[in-house]
Formats: sequence, structure tokens, C-alpha cells
Amino acid sequence: MEKIKSPEESRKLLDKITFDLTRSIVKRDELTNFWYFLLIMFALVGLWGWGIQIRDGLGVSGMRDYVSWGMYIANFVFFVAVSLIGFLISSTLHLLKINWSKPISRVAEQVAIAAVALAGIIIINDMGRPDRFLNVFLHGRFASPIIWDVTVVITYLAISVLLFYLPLIPDLALLRDKSPDDIPKWKMKIYKVLALGWKGNAEQYKLVYHAMRVLMILIIPVGLSIHTVTSWLFAATLRSGWDTTIFGPYFVAGAFVAGVAAVIIVMYIYRVRYGLKDYFQDYHFNMMGKLFVFVCLVYLYFNINEFWVPGYKMKTAESIHLTNLFTGKYAGLFWSAQLFGLILPILLMVNRFFRKPVPITIISVFVLIASWFKRYLIVIPTLEHPFLPVQNVPANFQHYTPTSIEIMITLFSFMAAFLVVTVLAKMFPVITIWEYAEEKGIDREIISEPKNQTP
Amino acid sequence: MMRKIYLLLTLALFVAKQGMSQEWLVPDDQKNIKNPSGYTLENVKAGKNLYLVNCKSCHGDPGKHNGLPLVPPPPDLISDLMQNNTDGELFYKISHGRGGMPQFEKTISVDDRWRLINFIRNFNKANRPLLVEAPPKKAKLLASVNEVEKRVEVFAEVEDKNGAYIKLPDTEVKISAKKAFGNIPIGDILTNADGRGEYVIPETLIGDENGLVNIVVELGEGFITDKVVLDAAKVGQPKPTPKLIRKQVLWSTNDNVQTWLLLSYLGAVGAAWLAIGYVIFQIFKIWKLGKE
Amino acid sequence: MEKKSRRNFMKALGVSIGAAGVMGSSTILSSCSRVETTSGDTIKLLTSSGELVEVQKSALKPADMPTLTENQKRGREGLPGRKWVMVIDLSKCRNARQCMKACQNHHQLRPEQHHINVLQMQDADHTAPYYMPKPCQHCDNPPCTKVCPVNATFKREDGIVLIDNERCIGCRFCIAACPYSARVFNWFEPRDAEKYKGVVYNIEANVPQKKGTISKCLFSADRLRDGKLPSCVSACPNGVYWFGDQNEDAVTNGTTHETTSFSKIIEENAGYTLMEELGTKPRVYYLPPKDRAFPFQGTIEENHS
Repeated sequence: MEKIKSPEESRKLLDKITFDLTRSIVKRDELTNFWYFLLIMFALVGLWGWGIQIRDGLGVSGMRDYVSWGMYIANFVFFVAVSLIGFLISSTLHLLKINWSKPISRVAEQVAIAAVALAGIIIINDMGRPDRFLNVFLHGRFASPIIWDVTVVITYLAISVLLFYLPLIPDLALLRDKSPDDIPKWKMKIYKVLALGWKGNAEQYKLVYHAMRVLMILIIPVGLSIHTVTSWLFAATLRSGWDTTIFGPYFVAGAFVAGVAAVIIVMYIYRVRYGLKDYFQDYHFNMMGKLFVFVCLVYLYFNINEFWVPGYKMKTAESIHLTNLFTGKYAGLFWSAQLFGLILPILLMVNRFFRKPVPITIISVFVLIASWFKRYLIVIPTLEHPFLPVQNVPANFQHYTPTSIEIMITLFSFMAAFLVVTVLAKMFPVITIWEYAEEKGIDREIISEPKNQTP
Repeated sequence: MMRKIYLLLTLALFVAKQGMSQEWLVPDDQKNIKNPSGYTLENVKAGKNLYLVNCKSCHGDPGKHNGLPLVPPPPDLISDLMQNNTDGELFYKISHGRGGMPQFEKTISVDDRWRLINFIRNFNKANRPLLVEAPPKKAKLLASVNEVEKRVEVFAEVEDKNGAYIKLPDTEVKISAKKAFGNIPIGDILTNADGRGEYVIPETLIGDENGLVNIVVELGEGFITDKVVLDAAKVGQPKPTPKLIRKQVLWSTNDNVQTWLLLSYLGAVGAAWLAIGYVIFQIFKIWKLGKE
Repeated sequence: MEKKSRRNFMKALGVSIGAAGVMGSSTILSSCSRVETTSGDTIKLLTSSGELVEVQKSALKPADMPTLTENQKRGREGLPGRKWVMVIDLSKCRNARQCMKACQNHHQLRPEQHHINVLQMQDADHTAPYYMPKPCQHCDNPPCTKVCPVNATFKREDGIVLIDNERCIGCRFCIAACPYSARVFNWFEPRDAEKYKGVVYNIEANVPQKKGTISKCLFSADRLRDGKLPSCVSACPNGVYWFGDQNEDAVTNGTTHETTSFSKIIEENAGYTLMEELGTKPRVYYLPPKDRAFPFQGTIEENHS
């Protein structure tokens, strides 16, 4: 925390901060409209595809009796993975009293909310009978990992929303009291309601801090569970490639890689688009880069375990699976994902240069794409090689190829996730103003005072 | 629909090609091998027993044309299709099989295969049949079960030339027990000079849950008679019905959910949502403070 | 002919005959279990061999017709005192596929859907190839029922693993969990969906099949209730299948109708279960393909593991 400034200085600085951080809310140009148009178009096309799927059955996908989980499940795992970043940045790093990550918290929560919400939607989309979704609650079977997954996804979503909302309350009050005049009226109304009559007195701050702390501790087991349970959907079966004990931590480690990449990309977009160079500084990218290298190394360690141990033994079924990945049909995809999603990023980001905003964002894009394909490689090749031979069925039962409808719906999920992030950014400041201001040495009372109250 | 017809057609053609249209050719050197075993009553009888075990299920009873309705149909023993084969051809076909006809090369010895052929020749018009099936006689069969001593007592009579019933000596009576889908043979007895017989039920016989057995008693071939079914005789061991679904087991439904699992799940979910509820309550408190 | 009728004879038939000779064959009618009223004087009946017949209503008088709820309830309980077991004699199989045909008929399956599938197997590079009919193994430690999120698939006390297609949400976790690839999914409208429209669902045959749900072999549980052998067992022309109640230690051959001791046939032929190392405890036993009745004439494909 910087040293306390004089009230005059403080007010000026606070005005500037507020001005900068509300730019995302105010800014609405051609590009914004085009972006919305693009997102909504894609979302509609995806929904149309979903309509066809509901009418004709899940058979419009490339999935069949042997490869019965395809791109949807891979995509679901990907989104659950990305959502895990909320737990890492806004809880774990906070509890460890690491300060540099504070301005990034809200970005991480935005990404977490969008990803986990979409994960929930995708899984309904993968059901043969989405009309019977309520059966999950009416007839839920306690011993099934799917029930655990549903429970934990809902819980995680709730915690993420609260963790997004709580630090937002003082900001909403601040915007309500002294926002720039160009914020639309309807947004101001929403702020007024959501600010809950915040006065900024000590008791209220205490409550916010207290509730935040409860959530930060709570999200640790829930966050770990969400991805561990998701890994159990695979590890609870007998199939080679899934039947492994390290799937839980392996998934969690992989999730951090994907999540850090997603957050860096969103940070960079905000930095450029909303002129937040002074907030998402090179320093933050540098630190995120270090974190990135660290989680990548952990993930690399698990990858080595995951492939080396069975690869050393080459049991019959395992060897078919591994050969398929290493030198077979999926070799290209597998080695690209390992190279561009893990090995090259580590080698590059060890250098300071590659932790600068532009290079690290480019690396993040590669890592994010590789992470998606990594999930694809976890789900599909295993199913293509069951224990017993695949016989007396048409050729499309033996090998999985996604259909255009699947790709459409998957694109829809990406676009919908972007849409959620965009709406959140357009509605609320992307950095917690009051927290940032306090860091800069501005007194709480000045933050809480009404707009035109200059002595 | 067209596809279906097409499919059927192909299937029919395929089957036909497998069996009917194509003649079953036997190599010339095999064709003319002579039956090394003699056409004797002993061999024919042995052949008959082999036939009953290995062939009857498809080829049916000789002369009754009651083989299984397969494509191509397994021919009856008296048919020309069967009898026009040379001994060598029959031997080859029995040994190697084709299509629906199994290969008996590994399951029936060479000598037995030749004995089987002797039995087939018993129905050749050119031969004098050695094994003459007498016209079936009318018979009466009475049976009762002694539950205390676990015995089945049998009395058999046969109709004589004058239409009167006289006791039937030295005749095989088959005893079997009813099971879910058929009767399992449990023993044979011979009637004595008085037409009576006694069968001691083995200790190991399994009945229903209460040890009740439905015992079926019947005369062998050559008699026209009804089976006797001794219903619900308490002569067997009670059938064990071990419980498959234990009270608490992971793979069963919620009714048998394991307590520790249920408690862990509910505990974890309850704790998480309690904490969430607590946080929401804090938010409520913030709102209240704001109103003051 | 039998002098006395069998005790405890199954009475769970859907309809009894009021007038004989209407259908020509009374056996078809006596095995009909599901009834659906259509227009006027005719009625749609679903025989347990999967045929849909339409007959004069006056020919029938309904008796003990289970409603959907009752059907689901009794379908979950199973047949008391039984523990069904199947023995498959690999030395007798010649890939005739009559079992597959009868099964697809009974359970209204599309040609690519197999409750039972005759596989061409070879265990290692130089071991003998053989044909292996593969139904659901009805495991006593079923990995599939373990993962079901809605209690839609379950194991009954008589050993059968069953599916309630009115409950299933189509998540396909059970397909992923089954190491025997025994389960199939209705990716599209099921076969003849129009034809069977309005026919009341029967949980013990999974018919009519429901779009977007799982289906699999269920040992023809509806036929067992009627005292009949499963469709595949009855259809086999080569005596491959033995089926019976393990509790009474007896199995009956579907082709020859010969009945023998289950433990004896397993012991004498060194019977085994499939992939026993997985701990699934199958209820389907195999007799090794030794002294084969038919030579192997198939092709062994690459996609083998």
C-alpha cells in the first residue's frame, strides 16, 4: 500500500481511476455493436443446430455406440477446466497474501462464471433426453459421479457469482454516487439496486471482508472437487487410458494451464480495448507469465507420469491406446498439443521477453487451443478402442468424426462464453475500483463520499 | 422397404449358395472307401445311441421327417437324399460338415462314425433292417413317491394281444426332475418280473425353496403312455437362494446406498451450502446496515 | 401329455383367450402381454417375439394387464427365487447369427444395434480364432449400474441387469463404464417407431425402444416371466446356448431342450467368464472353443484389443 495521500490528491486520483475503469461500461462504438452482432449470430446458429439435434436425436452428431462421448464431453471438460482459474487467482493467491494478482481477480471471476455456466449448458446438450433433466434431481442416485458433478458445478457457480458480487458492492455504490455522467440510466438503476444501500461504514466493510474470507476458504475444496469429480467421470471406468489414479490432480493441473491462458487473453483484450495500460501493466503480465510457467511445469510433471508409467509397461489394451496416441492416428494432434500447449510455452516463457504482454498473449492463444485438443485426446481415442473388437456395425461406428452440427453447437458454446464475459465487462468495472484505490493510498472515507461533496 | 427386400434377397441367395444349389462334392478317393465295420446288430445299436446324442436334434426321428426347419433342411435318414450317398460320402460329410452341418471329426471317433453309418443303412430299402422298431404298444404307468424314504415306486403294465393289461417286466423307466425350462434326467431303473421298480432319490437333488420336486416318470421308446408327473414331492434339498443384492452396496439403487457414502455426500453438500447461506446472510446484513 | 399341471405355473400372462381359433394359433395370443386399444373392434397386441398383431377385440378378455407403473414396479423386482445364468458353448457356434436376428426382432432393434453380437475373436497372435456370441454379461458387480445418475439401470434379485427407458436421461455414462461394449443407444427414432406408437412400454423387453435412451440385452426378461427361454437361446440352430436357474443348478439347451446340471457342464468343460480379471463377476459363462463342431471361417480384423 502506498502512503496516505492528501484528500485533494486522493480525490483527483480517484476520479481518474473511476474514469478509466468505467470506460468499458461507457464505451459503445461500431466495434462493440459488431462484436455483439457476431456473438448473437453464432449463438443463434448454434441454437438452431441444437434444435435439429433435439428433433432428430443425438445421432446428428458423430457419436455412436462405441465412441459414445465425443466433442461435447471434451468441450465440457475444457470449460470446467477453464473455470478453475477463479479458484486459483481470487482465492488461493489471496489467501497466500500475494498482492500482484488483486487487480486480476475480477477478470478471473468473469472467466470462471462464464466457463462454469457454459459447462452446465453443454452437459445438458449432451444428454439424449434433455427433457428429462429434472430426473437428475427427482431420482438422483447418490453413488453416481454425475450427481456429484452436477452438485459441485452448481455449488461452484453459486460461489463464483458471490465471489464476483461481494467485492463489487462498494464499487456499485461508488458508481451510484459519483459515476461519470455518460453511464446509461438503466445501468445506474441496476447499480442502485445491487449496491444494497452501501454506505461504506466500517461494519459494512468488515462484513464484506468476512464474507469474502469465508468464500475464499470454501472455494478451495469446491474448486478442487469440481475438476476432480469431472476426472472421475473417466477414471471411474475400466477403460484403458482412463483407468488411472492420477486423473484428479492431472486434470486440476491441466485446468490451471488452460485457465491462466484464458485470463491472460482476456486481460490483454481489456488492456488494449479499454485503455487499461496502467492497470494491467507489463508487471502483471510478467507475474502471470511466471505463474504460467509454474502451472505448466506441474502439468508437465503429471503428463510424464500419465504417459510414461503405462508406456513403460505396455499392457495389451494400454499399448493399443498409447501407440494410437504416440505414433498412430492421433500422433499429429497429440504431439502438437504437447509441443504447443506445454513444452514450447515453458521454454519460451522462461525468458523475460516472452512474458511481455504481446508475446505472452500469443502463447496463451496457442495454449488455450492446445488445451481444448488435449481434452479431445483424453475423451475420444480411449473410446475408439474398447476391450472387445468392434464388429458387425457400419464404418462410422468404428471411428469418430465430429459433424457440422457438433461443431456448430461447440462454436455456440464459445460464443456464449464470450458473450457472458462481454456482458459482465460492459456492466461492471473489470477491476475492483475501491480495492485498487485503497492500494493507491486513498482513504476509505473519500471513496465513500458522495460525488459533489468537495469541502 | 426396397432395401429390406434387397437385403432379404441377398440373404436368400447367400444361404442358397451355401447349401442348396451347390452340390456337396466329395473327393473321389474318399467316395469309394468301404465301411470297415460290419453291418451287425451290435454296430447298428451303437450307431443308434450315437445318433440320438449327436444327430437327432437336427435330423429328427428316422421316418418322421421332423428335422429342424433349417436352410437347407437336414434330410431324414430314410430319404433318398441321404441313402443315395455312398458309405465313403457319408463318412466324409459326417467328418467335415458344411454350412449348418457340424464337423464330427474331432468329437466322434472314426469307428463310431462308421457305426453311425451302419445305423443309417438300417433304413436303406436295399438292406434287411436289423433294428426293427416294433409298433409302439399301449402301456400304463403308475408311480408314487415315498417322501419319508425318498423313493419313487413304479408299476408298469402293457397291453397284450387280447387288450388286457399285464405287468411289464425288464423295461427301462426314466426318472427326471422338472427344472425351469426342462426336465433334468436323474436316473433310470429297470422293472422287475412283477412290473415294479424302485428308484432311490439321491440326497443331492435340489428342489424349490421348500425342497419340493416335481418328478417326471416315463417309459422308454416303444410305448404309448403318458408321463407321470409327481407334483411337489418333498424329497429334495431346499434350493439355495443366496441374496444377490446386499443391504448396502455401491452398484445398487438408492434403496441400498451405503450409509457412509450418503452421509459424506449430504455432509459435504450441506456444509458448502450452509456456508453459502451464511454468506448470503452477511449480504443481507450489509443491506440492513445500509438502510439504517 | 402330462397328467397333472405344473405347480406354481406362471400366471402372469397379459390376456387370456375368450374364443379359440381367432388368430389361428392360440400360442401367439397367450404370450401377448401388452395391450393397446386402437379404434373400433380391433386391438393391437405385442407378442413376446416382437410381432405386432391386430385382432378382434371380442376374441379377448383382458386379464391382469399391467399398467406402465405396475410393469415398472414388477420389472424392478424380478422373478422370485431365480438366479438366471447363461452358458455359451463356443465349440458349437458357427456364426449362424440366428440369435442376433431373433434378438433384433424381439427388441425392435435397428440392424446396427446388437443386444447380442457374434464376434470373431483371436486372443493373441498365434492362438486359435473363434466365434464368440456376446450378450450383456449381467455382472454381479456391474460397473454400469454403479455409475447411473438416476437409478435408470439396476440389477434385479434374479440377476438380470435391466433398464427403465422411461427414466433414462441418455447421459451414456453406462456405455463408457461397460467393458464388454454391451450397451447400445437410440441415436435416432427407434426402428418402426411409427408402427409401435401408442404401445405401452414394457420394461422387461425395452420395447418399444425410446429415442435418446440406452438399451441392452436383458435375457428376454418378459419371456422368462412367461416361462420361455430367451429369444436368442431358442433361435440358435446349433445348440450353443444353455440357460437356466443357477439356484436349482440346471441349464436347458435352447436347441435340443436337453437339461443338464450347470455345475457339471462348467466343470467338465472348464467353463470360464469373460475378462474375470476386471472383477465384474459375469452371469454368462463360456465353454472353450475346443473340438469345434464347425471350423472357423471368418476373418480377424485389426481393431482388436
